[in-house]
Order: sequence, then structure tokens, then C-alpha cells
Amino acid sequence: MRRAIASACFLAGLLPAVASASGGGDGGLISLDKSLIIQVFNFLILLFLLTKLLYKPLLAKMDERTQAIQKSLDEAQAARALAQKERDDFAAKIQAANAEAQRIRAEALKDAADEQRRLVDAAKAEAARLVANARQEMDQDVRRARQELRQEVADLAIAVSERLIKKSLNDADHRRVVDDAIARMGQKN
Amino acid sequence: MRAQEGTARRYAKGLHMAATEAGAGEAAGRELAAFFDGLQVNRGALEILARPWIKPTDRRAAALALAEKSGCGKLVRDFVALVAQRGRLDHLEAIVAAYRDLIDADLGQARAQVRSAVALTDAEKAQLTRHLQAALGKQIILEESVDTNLLGGFVAQVGSLILDGSLDGQLARMHERLVRG
Repeated sequence: MRRAIASACFLAGLLPAVASASGGGDGGLISLDKSLIIQVFNFLILLFLLTKLLYKPLLAKMDERTQAIQKSLDEAQAARALAQKERDDFAAKIQAANAEAQRIRAEALKDAADEQRRLVDAAKAEAARLVANARQEMDQDVRRARQELRQEVADLAIAVSERLIKKSLNDADHRRVVDDAIARMGQKN
Repeated sequence: MRAQEGTARRYAKGLHMAATEAGAGEAAGRELAAFFDGLQVNRGALEILARPWIKPTDRRAAALALAEKSGCGKLVRDFVALVAQRGRLDHLEAIVAAYRDLIDADLGQARAQVRSAVALTDAEKAQLTRHLQAALGKQIILEESVDTNLLGGFVAQVGSLILDGSLDGQLARMHERLVRG
């Protein structure tokens, strides 16, 4: 590329000198004679060479750069889109994680409430059982005390009766007791 | 005690069968009771006969001699000899009672043991006997005894039947009612 540009410059410098040499020495820049044709021819050659060696590569280079820039822009756009997608995915993941955390929290709260209710119910049942047991034991104690009291009263009454009977029973009473017993036996028959 | 009664009943049944066949059931009972009464008087002889180291043949011979002395017939002599030989003289009281029950059953009679706080008069005994006969449908032989532990009245027992006409029984029933409330 550099060599092509250098060749073009060399020719561009050489052609005016050729034109000047061929034009004579009247001192004008452009003479309307045959040199003009040479100049035009030179110019066209120069134009051709410039176009071939400088302008087209420059345009190609500019196209290449444009394409590189466009490619970079496209890549940047794609990277941006990818980043946006990843950001969206991340946001979605965060949202899902939040939802999951909410669900777990709600579930934990429900479990805790259930456990609390279960414990309260168990405590109530235990309390009711203890009360019933205490009441039953109390009833048993009362019944036992009443029975013991009855037993003691009966023992005492019978002991006193025996003592009184032993003291007070005379022969006539014995006869009457025997006769009564025999009479009762006769009534049963 | 229950085993002794069972054994005594078996011996009594054996004697009863043999005596009934011989037509001397009541007589055998009387002789057996007389032999037992003789042994009760002569406790020394009974204790010697009850010793386990005395030979069975010696026990048999001694029992035979005692039975002969008590005026027992051959059947009862052989029976008490057998009882002594087998070392069952300590069952003799139960055998006598069991034999007496068998004879009573043969005669359609029953014995009523009556315990009373004071001795019963003849009229009371007759009345009691009449009531018991009416209740059981059997001839009743009253065997009375005075029990000073009784407060008053009497308790009559015929076999497993107990008729309680005592103050003790009335007090016991009253005690039961008081306890039951």
C-alpha cells in the first residue's frame, strides 16, 4: 500500500516536469497546444493512478473500517442484549427466589401455627385428664372415708350393744330370745 | 383336714357296706363309737398306737386286743385292726362321725348341733326339733351344747344348713347393714 502511494506521488511529480519540458519556455501554466493534450493525458493517467492506487484502497479501507466499526457496534449491541437478557434472567431468578422464600416463610408460619395449636390442644387435654384424675381420686377418698366412718360407727355400735346386752340380759330375757327365735323359725316353715 | 375327712369317709363307707351286708349297720356304729370312747379314756394306748415306729403288726395286735376289751364284734375288731395297721388311728374320730352320718342317712334322720347361750328347756328342745323336722323332712336328733361365747339365743347346724337364732347373729346382720349404709 505504501509502495503504491509512493509510486503515485513520483508519477504526479514527474508528469508536470515532462509537460513543462515539452511546452517550451513561454512561461504560462497551461498552453493551448499539443502539450495540453499531453497534460490532459497526464492528468487522466494521474487520475487513473490516483483512483487505482489511492482512492479505491482508501475507500476499501474506509469500508473495512466502517464494517469493523459496524461489527463492533453489532457486537456491542449483542453484548448489551446479552447483558440485558442476563439481567432479566437474574431479576427473574431473584423474583423466583423471593417467591420461594415467601412460600417457605408462609409454610413455616403455618407449621408453627399448627404446632402451636397441637401443643395447646395437648396441654388442654392433659389438664382435663389431670382434673378428672384428681376428681376421681377425691371421690375415692371421700367414699373410702365414708366407708371407714361407717365401719367405725358400726364396730362401736355393735361393741356397745354387746356390752349392754351382756350386762342387762337375765334368764327370762334368754328364754324370750330363744322362744322368739324358735317362733320365727316356725313362721318360716 | 379336708384330706383326712375324705380318707375317713372312704374307711367309713367300707365298714358301712360290710356291716350293712351283715345286717349289723347300727350295731357296728355303736361298737365303733364304744371303741373310740375307750381310746379317749385310755389316751396312753392311743398315743402308743399312733407312734410311727411301732410295727404295723404290733399295732394291729394291740388294736385287736383293745377292741375285744371294748366288746366289739368280729367285723369292727377287724376294721379297727386294719385302721391301726395302716397307721390311721388318728382318723378314727372322723371315721366315727362319717359312719354315724351314713347310718343316719340310712335311717332317714339327721343330727342337729345346737349351740345356745343357756341350756334349752325340754319344751324348747321339742319345739326346735319339731321345726327342724318340718323344715328338713327328716327325723332330727338334737345334740345340744352350751356356748358361753354366745350373747343369747342359739345356733343350730344340720349338715351344711345353719339356722342362726342368736343375738350374735342379729348383731352381725345389724353390723353388716350399718357398714353397707
